Amino acid sequence: MLKPLSSDRWNATTAAHLLNRAGFGGPPREIQQLVALGPERAVARLVDFEKIPDATPNPGWARPDPERRNKLQAFRRADAEQRRELQREERRQQREQMTELRHWWLGRMARGPRPFQEKMVLFWHGHFATSVDKVREPYLMWRQNELFRRLAVDHWLRLLVETGQDPAMLIWLDQARSRKQHPNENFAREVMELFTLGEGHYTEKDITEAARALTGWSYNRETQQFVDRPALHDPGVKTVLGRTGRLQGRDVLEQIVAQPQAARFITAKLWTFFAGQPPSEALLTALAASFRQHGNHFKPFLRVMLRSEEFYDPALIRTQVKSPVQWLAGTIRMLETELPPPQLSGILTRELGQDLFAPPNVKGWDGGLSWITTNTLLARYNQAALLVQGSGAARSGGRRKPRQAGRGPMPRPRPPALQIEVTRLFSEAERREPGALIAALGSRLFQTELKANQQAALREYLDSQGVLDDDDILGAIRLAMSTPEYQLT
Amino acid sequence: MKYEPTLKTRREFLRGTVLGSALSWTVPSFLANTFATLHAAAADAPTQPVTGKEATILVVLQLAGGNDGLNMVVPFGDDHYHRARPQLGISARAALRLGEGVGLNPGMTGLKELYESGHLGIVQGVGYPNPNRSHFRSTEIWQTASDAHRFESTGWLGRYFDSTCNGCDPAVAVALTRQMPQALAAKQPRGICFSTPENYRFIKADQVRADELDASEAIYRKMNEAGEVAAEASGGTIEMLNGPAPHAGSPLDFIERVALDAQVSSDEIRAITSKAQNQATYPGSRLAESLKLVGRLIGGGMATRIYYVSQGGYDTHTNQAGTHTRLLTELADALKAFVADLKAQGNFERVLIMTFSEFGRRVAENASGGTDHGAAAPMLLLGNRIKAGLLGRYPSLAPSDLLNGDIQYTVDFRCVYAAVLESWLKTPSVPVLGRRFTPLAIV
Repeated sequence: MLKPLSSDRWNATTAAHLLNRAGFGGPPREIQQLVALGPERAVARLVDFEKIPDATPNPGWARPDPERRNKLQAFRRADAEQRRELQREERRQQREQMTELRHWWLGRMARGPRPFQEKMVLFWHGHFATSVDKVREPYLMWRQNELFRRLAVDHWLRLLVETGQDPAMLIWLDQARSRKQHPNENFAREVMELFTLGEGHYTEKDITEAARALTGWSYNRETQQFVDRPALHDPGVKTVLGRTGRLQGRDVLEQIVAQPQAARFITAKLWTFFAGQPPSEALLTALAASFRQHGNHFKPFLRVMLRSEEFYDPALIRTQVKSPVQWLAGTIRMLETELPPPQLSGILTRELGQDLFAPPNVKGWDGGLSWITTNTLLARYNQAALLVQGSGAARSGGRRKPRQAGRGPMPRPRPPALQIEVTRLFSEAERREPGALIAALGSRLFQTELKANQQAALREYLDSQGVLDDDDILGAIRLAMSTPEYQLT
Repeated sequence: MKYEPTLKTRREFLRGTVLGSALSWTVPSFLANTFATLHAAAADAPTQPVTGKEATILVVLQLAGGNDGLNMVVPFGDDHYHRARPQLGISARAALRLGEGVGLNPGMTGLKELYESGHLGIVQGVGYPNPNRSHFRSTEIWQTASDAHRFESTGWLGRYFDSTCNGCDPAVAVALTRQMPQALAAKQPRGICFSTPENYRFIKADQVRADELDASEAIYRKMNEAGEVAAEASGGTIEMLNGPAPHAGSPLDFIERVALDAQVSSDEIRAITSKAQNQATYPGSRLAESLKLVGRLIGGGMATRIYYVSQGGYDTHTNQAGTHTRLLTELADALKAFVADLKAQGNFERVLIMTFSEFGRRVAENASGGTDHGAAAPMLLLGNRIKAGLLGRYPSLAPSDLLNGDIQYTVDFRCVYAAVLESWLKTPSVPVLGRRFTPLAIV
């Protein structure tokens, strides 16, 4: 189990699989680079991301608000009418900042130099699913996102402790409101049920006792920081998962991570996220053992996992449904272009069912087949048109007025949301010759050949266009994206 | 991921009837009758077929934002009400009297008529234990029918389909919303949603030359042909155009099926909406537009069992009086037109309309002429076979009976769901709701 993939199986297919899953895919050139590196160094290129500089600037507002204290005071002094006005203004600002934040993160995934790190941030965001709907403050959402980035492949206990003390999480699961007289069990419950162990591996008593131990972990609204408030802490003796003593918050998380089930739980989830299917029992045993052997450090474990023969099982390749974020970021990378404008990019993934920073509940997104419904599939096909060709109506909700004959000029098509340089993506021969173009589309968008009937259909389309121009090629890209196969990676 | 025989048999069905003659995606009338009757294995199902043009229909109408139940079904005879609402309270004179001490909001004349003709049932004091006051969370509780402290990922109507529906029409549920409501979330996703029928389709890019438009749509259809179907329809010879079929249950196999569902339902909806006519005149509100479309889809013979529509704006924290009455007027007028439409079509017999909102509002008005998030509230049920009148008991508004300023529920909303499932959709409610809730007598 978990033997490294042998070099003779390292080729464009396996290299593309690595880039698709450990990142968001990329153009043929990038895949060829990974092929040339060989499997060991290709995995290292992605996993040892700290060696690659990432100069993405933070949003300008992403820091504690220096005016915070004054604002809170002004709010307290304000009358009802003024308060409403202040709240309106606050909400408007929050909406703007969230639009910016979504675009900022999508940009890192779609364009940034450390795709694996961002993939892990996406994993942790889905795992510790925290929503701005309750947290409200974009700064706190950004901060949690940065925490996931900083500790993306760090140590399990450290990540749990820092996430437990993260202001957005303190608000999201009500830990900030917990006190010894009335311990709030929300965080204590979810940390065991959803974050570390899974149902059936703890008792209700473990939860109530853990909640007592966690009292005191709180949030200071003025400084926007975590604060440990001894006055709120229950200093009594508790028993959690078999450990007894005057336990504090950190002790609980330590005891959780010490459970064998904790390693099984998180490695199963990581495997499923990257491989696209749950692991077999034997594989899971090997994964959990490897994680513990590496002292609950994610990085060496993930290196083993991404290097393993099992990860390159042909049955796993191109069988994972792309999440909306993967769909968008991957499209940008494969077509070597820029993200659409901020107002649009966040809306696109939301319409496909993945609103970043607003997962549907604390369980996160279900993912997998649930991404695909008739509605979201048509939306993906139509977003492809909006992105690649421009369109009058590809965004749902935008009602198009029926065009009436003889009344005014023809409406101009909306320009495409993506600037695609056809001449950069395809050679002159590919741009001229349908057969060559179809082959190039296959390797660029699918890293494989299209099915014969799809090739024939594209051929029919291209042949009907006469001499090919850029619009025809964009039309072919859109059609290739409007297939079941393009929804998989 | 298991994908059970549905797909297989569905394909066989398609191959036999549609693809047998020509490889065409213009399926004329898709599975107009329930698939169950076409397939022996599914015919054993202990419950009523889930699709079908003659079956009963449920229209779920969400009043989003937290509707102030107290000013919709007004307890004008209760002094506690007037004490708690010196500004917002609706007087006995203004309210549209329904019974002893209770009346409708003055804007709801349309519904008052339906009440008098015996088509409106009002379930009073509907809620759940440990009510949550977050829009987000409480909506989720109503949609998933979960207990307040539990998180369910599937919706109650989604579970209804999961437990009864094998291989039914993709349009078995239609939500006229921008996103699929969580109530319809299912292990095996079914149902479709769109806000405008024109956009529920493969949209051709606006291009200059008209001949290109049709080309791209025809090509799209060819590129979305499912492997196995096309291969077998072509005789399984060397002309196996599509290459190896994805194995049953694979993600590709699943997406191909959804792609087929999308095409078929999109064609069906556009065909029906372009030819079916409404039999009544609707007002111009957005809700009325939605119900008008539902009216056309029902009249046009869609096999849909569940329609889902929504009216927003009920989060009335400030200056509520005018806004709330306007919303309720829109609601009542839209429903009145919808009912008239259904009656003229001869379909009213088949339709039950049910409203819900994530919560009611606090009994006491706030300092801004509005009301804050509360708890229990009434639900409206409309239909020809409905048990009309005031159902359940109006909760007490005496301060000592309130919980944190909120009315305490007298009917658990899941007892209403159980009744809808059992009496209307004719399906056992326990598999859907997870445990026994005594169904309210509503029919």
